[in-house]
Amino acid sequence: MNVLNIALFEIKKSLRDKRTLIFMLAFPIVLILILGTALTNAFHNGVAVGDMKLLVKNTAQSQQLQSYWNGFAQAIGKEGVELTPAANGIDGKEAVQNNQFTAYAEIDDNGVHFYGSSRQTISSNIIQGMLTSFADKYSLAAAAVKNDPEAAQAIIAGSMSAGSFVQEFSIDPDRKPGSIDYYAIAESTMIAFYACMSASWLIRGEVKRKTALRLVAAPIGKMEIFAGKVIASTIINFLCILAVVVFSKYAFNANWGQHLGFVFLLLFTEVLLAVSFGLGIAYLFKDDAVNAVMMIFVQVASMIGGAYFPVDEASGVFGAIANVSPLRWANEALMSLIYNDDLQAVFPVIGLNTAIAAAFLAFVAITMRKREAF
Amino acid sequence: MNVLEIRNLTKKFGDFIAVDNMNLSVSEGEIFGFLGANGAGKSTTINMISSLLRITKGEIQVLGRNIVKENKFSKMNIGIVPQDLAIYEEMTAYENVSFFAGLYGLRGSLLKERTEEALEFVGLGDKHKALPKSFSGGMKRRLNIACAIAHHPKLIIMDEPTVGIDPQSRNYILNSVKKLNQMGCSVIYTSHYMEEVEDLCTRIAIVDHGKIIAEGTKEQLKSIITDTKETWIGVKNAERLDLDALKRTTGVNSVRLEEQTVKIVSKGEINNLNWVIQQLIRDQVEISSVEEQAPNLETVFLTLTGRNLRD
Ligand SMILES: Nc1ncnc2c1ncn2[C@@H]1O[C@H](COP(=O)(O)OP(=O)(O)OP(=O)(O)O)[C@@H](O)[C@H]1O
Ligand SMILES: [Mg+2]
Repeated sequence: MNVLNIALFEIKKSLRDKRTLIFMLAFPIVLILILGTALTNAFHNGVAVGDMKLLVKNTAQSQQLQSYWNGFAQAIGKEGVELTPAANGIDGKEAVQNNQFTAYAEIDDNGVHFYGSSRQTISSNIIQGMLTSFADKYSLAAAAVKNDPEAAQAIIAGSMSAGSFVQEFSIDPDRKPGSIDYYAIAESTMIAFYACMSASWLIRGEVKRKTALRLVAAPIGKMEIFAGKVIASTIINFLCILAVVVFSKYAFNANWGQHLGFVFLLLFTEVLLAVSFGLGIAYLFKDDAVNAVMMIFVQVASMIGGAYFPVDEASGVFGAIANVSPLRWANEALMSLIYNDDLQAVFPVIGLNTAIAAAFLAFVAITMRKREAF
Repeated sequence: MNVLEIRNLTKKFGDFIAVDNMNLSVSEGEIFGFLGANGAGKSTTINMISSLLRITKGEIQVLGRNIVKENKFSKMNIGIVPQDLAIYEEMTAYENVSFFAGLYGLRGSLLKERTEEALEFVGLGDKHKALPKSFSGGMKRRLNIACAIAHHPKLIIMDEPTVGIDPQSRNYILNSVKKLNQMGCSVIYTSHYMEEVEDLCTRIAIVDHGKIIAEGTKEQLKSIITDTKETWIGVKNAERLDLDALKRTTGVNSVRLEEQTVKIVSKGEINNLNWVIQQLIRDQVEISSVEEQAPNLETVFLTLTGRNLRD
């Protein structure tokens, strides 16, 4: 009962804090809008998505197909795709699995067979988009040749100019993320993590405001206060994320896939992780350092987690750092869930988030019990 | 029964002893004054009574029960008015009082009734929906009190409830304290204002360096210092005063200057007025009045602690 009272009061108090509330809602939405539209071209040019290496095995006999393919290869080369002919005996799929290539394509007279990397999802999705449009154009041209050779020429010539393949790729938003789709995910996971900022004030704020004294003097347990606060903060922050997701889905048409329940479950655990993390940092560092530590961590985690630009397959030091960003886990899992229907990608992240949250919460609870007041 | 009983209470912060083997009892129905200069240990003592600080050594009993062993019981019976304002600025006056009262188990219509009663009591009956942000210092102090009384505690502890407020709010608060007392509450009251304590309190303890150095009724405390007397000399050109020379004058214990009045505490048995006045004449100070003071608490405090109650 006390826990409920404290939680309700805290929620009411958060709702009064219009500035934080507006920030939590407007910041991600504005970022989705700005980055999502401003970087559309970057997405299409593949500049921001890192290397795109395509391994190709071409066994097509058809002259027409061969020459068309060569034109296509040149065009996508200009788009930043690096083509490598597969040497005999090479297992293309394995090469992709080993992360030597972004994708592997086999071209024969029946068409194009595509095998994309599950690690570099964005780049491989882009290449897939290009190949799809290649195949579509080719069959269109092939059909045209029979009736109207000139039209076929025109189709092929038009397709050879740089840019024309890639522009197609966002036409089918269900299979590859457009920039709005990408940023809707990235900003939602980012703002979920921002919950740590307000959470770091949950107890510290009471001490600063001196109301901690009244809470301690009242006939309730510290753990009741603690639980009430964690529950309230998780709920209020999760509601903000919910609003952002729903807004991006309906206002921006962002693709959130077929498994919204799992999307929300994952985001919920991320909020819980952020809240626990914020509380933990507040107990790990001296009061005047908490804000700075939190700010730096959030910014770095956002950046390397892909909130501002997509980080596909980072390597070296950057890659190692990137992997400790909770945003990155969340983003990758959500991408796999939304674009590959890969439920398996979600559970490890949900588990990891929950486990880390539990560790932080236990640490805070123990420290709080030990302390004289809070 | 004693509403509060403190036995051999000690509080250490590291090596620093903030409260030093304190003994004290407050009977039911008293308004008990806690006097001490800055850093004397008043708040530290109060914070131990209200469970904010752990007791290093000794024991505290509220209504005869140990506050550590029967924590809930003592908490239910104490209302604390902290030295620093402890309210939520972004929540309305009503929400503040109702939240804290709710922590004491009040629910539903009783909670509503008590919240309204407490706000009415401190004169904020028409400010239910107002945010403390919009309050004057005095109104905030009154809200600070309302948050402590809605659960009808037997013992109310007020740690400097009148700091930095207008005279009107101060009078309001002083009257509230008397009213609470008439309604059956015992009150522990700390203040830097001697006249408040003198006006309100039935008994007074003087705290210095974490110890109680004197305790009793006003009369009892004043009788401690029959061996000293205080003389107030009004002067026109105070800047000419040589306070050190005055302090060295025969029989003088202490000298302090408050605006245009030199306040001199001297040994009771020596008549040194002549020498004092001679010293002033030597300094070419123009004397406008001379008054022999009846012993007052200010003098008692100064004599016992060697410090002024306010810096
Ligand atoms: N948490 C703490 N850690 C270390 N020292 C402390 C702490 N709290 C109080 N003290 C010290 O204990 C002494 C007593 O402080 P306390 O606040 O009890 O004084 P006080 O009588 O209430 O003074 P004031 O009239 O200024 O409120 C002071 O010297 C203070 O610096
Ligand atoms: Mg104090």
